[in-house]
Amino acid sequence: MEKYILGQQLVNGIVLGCTYGLIAVGYTMVYGIIGMINFAHGEVYMIAAYLAAIIIAVLTFFGINSAFLSLILTLAGTIVITSVYGWTIEKVAYKPLRNSPRLAPLISAIGISLVLQNYVQINQGAGNQGIPAVVSGAIKIGGGSNFFQITYMQAIIILAAVASMAILSIIINKTSLGRACRATQQDPKMAAILGIDTDRIISTVFIIGASMAGVAGVLVTMNYGSFDFFVGFITGIKAFTAAVLGGIGSLAGAMLGGLLLGLSESLFSGYVNTDYKDVFAFSLLVLILIFRPSGLLGRPEVEKV
Amino acid sequence: MTVSSRPPLVLILKDSLIAGAISLVIFGPICGIILDGYTFNTDFKIPLILTSIVTAGRFFFSFFGLPKLPDLSRIHPLANRKPTVPDKIFLGIVFAVFLIFPFVGSKYWLTVMILALIYVLLGLGLNIVVGLAGLLDLGFVAFYAVGAYGYALGYQYLGLGFWGSLPFSALIAATFGAILGFPVLRMHGDYLAIVTLGFGEIIRIVLNNWLEFTGGPNGVGAPLPTLFGLEFSRRAKQGGTPFHEYFNIGYSSTYKYIFIYLALLFFVVVIITAVSRLKKMPLGRAWEALREDEVACRSLGLNHVATKLSAFSMGAMIGGIGGVFFAAYQGFVNPSSFTFFESALILAVVVLGGLGSTVGVVTAAVILTILPEALRDFAGFRVLIFGILMVLMMIWRPKGLIKVKRPVFLQKGKG
Amino acid sequence: MPERRFIRFAVLIAIFAVVIFTKDQAYAGDGEIRLGIAGPHTGAYAAFGKQLWRGSKQAAEDINKVGGINGKKIVLIKADDACEPKQAVSVANRLVDRDEVAAVVGHFCSSSTMPASEIYDDAGILMITPASTNPMVTDRNMPTIMRNCGRDDQQGVVAAEFVIKRLKAKNVVVLHDKDTYGRGLADAMKEQMNKLGTIEVLYEGLTRGEKDFNALVTKIKAKKADAVYFGGLHTEAGPLVRQMREQGLTAKFISGDGIVSNDFIRAAGGNKFVKGAYMTFGADPRKLDAGKAVVEEFRKSGYEPEGYTLYAYATVQIITEAMKATDSIDGEVLANWLKANTVKTVMGEKSWDKKGDLKVSDYVIYVWTGDGKYEEYK
Repeated sequence: MEKYILGQQLVNGIVLGCTYGLIAVGYTMVYGIIGMINFAHGEVYMIAAYLAAIIIAVLTFFGINSAFLSLILTLAGTIVITSVYGWTIEKVAYKPLRNSPRLAPLISAIGISLVLQNYVQINQGAGNQGIPAVVSGAIKIGGGSNFFQITYMQAIIILAAVASMAILSIIINKTSLGRACRATQQDPKMAAILGIDTDRIISTVFIIGASMAGVAGVLVTMNYGSFDFFVGFITGIKAFTAAVLGGIGSLAGAMLGGLLLGLSESLFSGYVNTDYKDVFAFSLLVLILIFRPSGLLGRPEVEKV
Repeated sequence: MTVSSRPPLVLILKDSLIAGAISLVIFGPICGIILDGYTFNTDFKIPLILTSIVTAGRFFFSFFGLPKLPDLSRIHPLANRKPTVPDKIFLGIVFAVFLIFPFVGSKYWLTVMILALIYVLLGLGLNIVVGLAGLLDLGFVAFYAVGAYGYALGYQYLGLGFWGSLPFSALIAATFGAILGFPVLRMHGDYLAIVTLGFGEIIRIVLNNWLEFTGGPNGVGAPLPTLFGLEFSRRAKQGGTPFHEYFNIGYSSTYKYIFIYLALLFFVVVIITAVSRLKKMPLGRAWEALREDEVACRSLGLNHVATKLSAFSMGAMIGGIGGVFFAAYQGFVNPSSFTFFESALILAVVVLGGLGSTVGVVTAAVILTILPEALRDFAGFRVLIFGILMVLMMIWRPKGLIKVKRPVFLQKGKG
Repeated sequence: MPERRFIRFAVLIAIFAVVIFTKDQAYAGDGEIRLGIAGPHTGAYAAFGKQLWRGSKQAAEDINKVGGINGKKIVLIKADDACEPKQAVSVANRLVDRDEVAAVVGHFCSSSTMPASEIYDDAGILMITPASTNPMVTDRNMPTIMRNCGRDDQQGVVAAEFVIKRLKAKNVVVLHDKDTYGRGLADAMKEQMNKLGTIEVLYEGLTRGEKDFNALVTKIKAKKADAVYFGGLHTEAGPLVRQMREQGLTAKFISGDGIVSNDFIRAAGGNKFVKGAYMTFGADPRKLDAGKAVVEEFRKSGYEPEGYTLYAYATVQIITEAMKATDSIDGEVLANWLKANTVKTVMGEKSWDKKGDLKVSDYVIYVWTGDGKYEEYK
């Protein structure tokens, strides 16, 4: 019995971790290129959750009930709309502050975070929202009353996390767009002189980050089925923690950080105490940062004097 | 904007239409399709109205140009130069207004001003950590909470009244500041930020979970402040005589607030003076040097451990004092008052005020406290407008309301 | 520079003007009785605030139609605390000083009612809460603070008796959401259950706002639980029960009046997940004769008076009766009258004990039927 319980907890942890990782990757990308903590990232995730619910409701209205089709269409629609949101947020709140002291965009991000939360709350109501279970069924390992399982939706989340990391890594490392991103990150002025349209690159990075949040929003909402206008904040902080844990700026680090965070939360909750699992997670973070001040896979900042 | 520098009309029109199309995508689904259980209702009036506003607005501003806003630091006294006599008179009048305000203003605005002064204290504390020492602290609310709970629990377990609790809570908060400082000595920038954020959350979670000691989510009642043993409540709860009975005047809950306000004002003035002195002393200089270039400091022999720890402790202590006043004012402390949003709000006060500028912090704290209250008449739109104003304030004044100029040595004959 | 001085003094004059002109304005409304309706009108629990508002508004309209209170019309003032103590204090001060209300219906969340009630007690204003069930609300010897609902220590007892005696559960898990109401309820249930001889196999708190309780559910599975009692609200109960069923846990799920709302179905992802969930709640006011006419009125205007709607309606009625009988708005006078008399409301007859609690608490077990409704579990 214990083996199966352990197995289930591991599954729980990995799925939770992939959730954090998906969102953390968006944070890390933006930070890596621009050096800015985008606090509004969590709210884009929240908007994606609402969009997912809206699209699914509309699809059901028009009689489209197939799980596969719903998933694809919802993902497609949400990615498009969240990309637009990401681009607009950057244009409105961050671009004017690009040459300002570091803290100004941070406060602006917090302001945008508030605006998005309340914008959704005013329009959609403050109550909990939900979607019916779209994808059901699970893969069971073991039998009878001794088993652990991974539902199809959870499997999709894990696949999506792996796929998105792979896709992003390919983009950053193998395409010319990726090269331009890396150049902008290393030395924006030089990149601009060499002919790279840094404005467009930065916008593109935000768009990619937002679509990642969009994917995460859709999948996680379809998995848990319930959300409200405040989910962005809590998940945002967890994802930010994951990104820092793995080393901000490193994509693999974000995923690793997410997994570590998810696993530690699930295992601590499952074997010790649910009350203090967040305290444990944060203490773990502090401990790791004491021994590796730049995160697990982060590049230590070289300060030139 | 002169006519010749304006882009051609065709371009402006195209721009506006693109802005409109983008607005449709943004506002359409969220504002137009309202979720209702598992189905939805449509209301396309709102997205259409919003889209039209955006399109028209874009056209208008491209055509006529953005308005120019005034530079606040030109009219603010103490900004960047030694105060002259008219400046001093102005400041004296402002202080007098602050002093007599509780006796003439309404009780409601009195409570708002008490909150504003508490945020001034908090802003001053965080200003030391973020503004002067340059350490990004996202968990400042932890010290605020420690101060508040120190007062409430101090009364419950140790029988400490208001004046006994102030030094007690201040010391405990300072200790917590040092405790936070140790592990983060090696961390910089955003790593420091997340760890401090974690610290803030840990304190809040512990306070919420530890029912036996802290009362958990139910919170703890805090006693009212006393003046030489005279209480300000209707009935004496701490064993002394109520204030109004001693002086034989009718009971009014306003007295309590007036007292808290005046005590708070006193502390604010004391701390402002202390911080301005510190800024000119070696310790303050060390903080500012640390912010500018830590490696240079260390190479010049500055003890960065002592500097950082002192910054955290001092900031935490001031935050703790703010917490004590908050507990006394509200009469009740509970973990839900100490969330990350509070930390963010205090940080906004410091950034908006201009890092390191005391005057700016005071101005920003007052504005950011009064604003949500003044917007109360807008009910549901209150926080939305507040958020928009935060963004606008940052775009308008990214370096803060008051630009801090550091004393510069110019060579005679040049510059 | 002259312009600088000018701007400065303009600013000063502005400040003075604000200070002087926002002095407490006495309302000219002598021909009206103002009632404050305090609760979460915005925020995550706004659904409940809406129930309070609709109930109170309907009651005020009905009472005004037949002459109001001794000829004076009732005017309602919406006071939003968003379920936060800080806002509750702020809004309570506003109601007392600026709006000069005669009585208050509210608040909703126990964590808001507690600090706010200190202010009403201090000002001598009657406050009746239609929904705060934490015992401490009336346990603090405040003469003008009363309740029109049950207490958690009564609700928890009913739940414990049900779980042990009727469900005959052996391995019981007790969970809460770490908040005032949830924890208070869970603790009350746990205490009674321990008195009946059963010790819980697990007692833990989950965090409000989170959605992933899979690890906790797996742990419950490991304990081979046959009943799970949750003190908390539908926002967490929904995902909890869904994840329980998804992981194949067939243990019975029991909760309190925090899941009395169709939002519970929505939060859980559909009827199939809530089917069979039990909850304690006061006898459904919609079934009582006294209130049938009012319920019809609501339904005709397209609104189903679920949850606390009728509790708020009844509270306005209670305040009205007390004011009519005593012809006063003094909180203590009103409270003393209520504690000595019975009032007929849409929820039946109500009477109070010295502490301000209802003399009769009528908590009953309901079960969600799986087709969108809940019915009494006999």
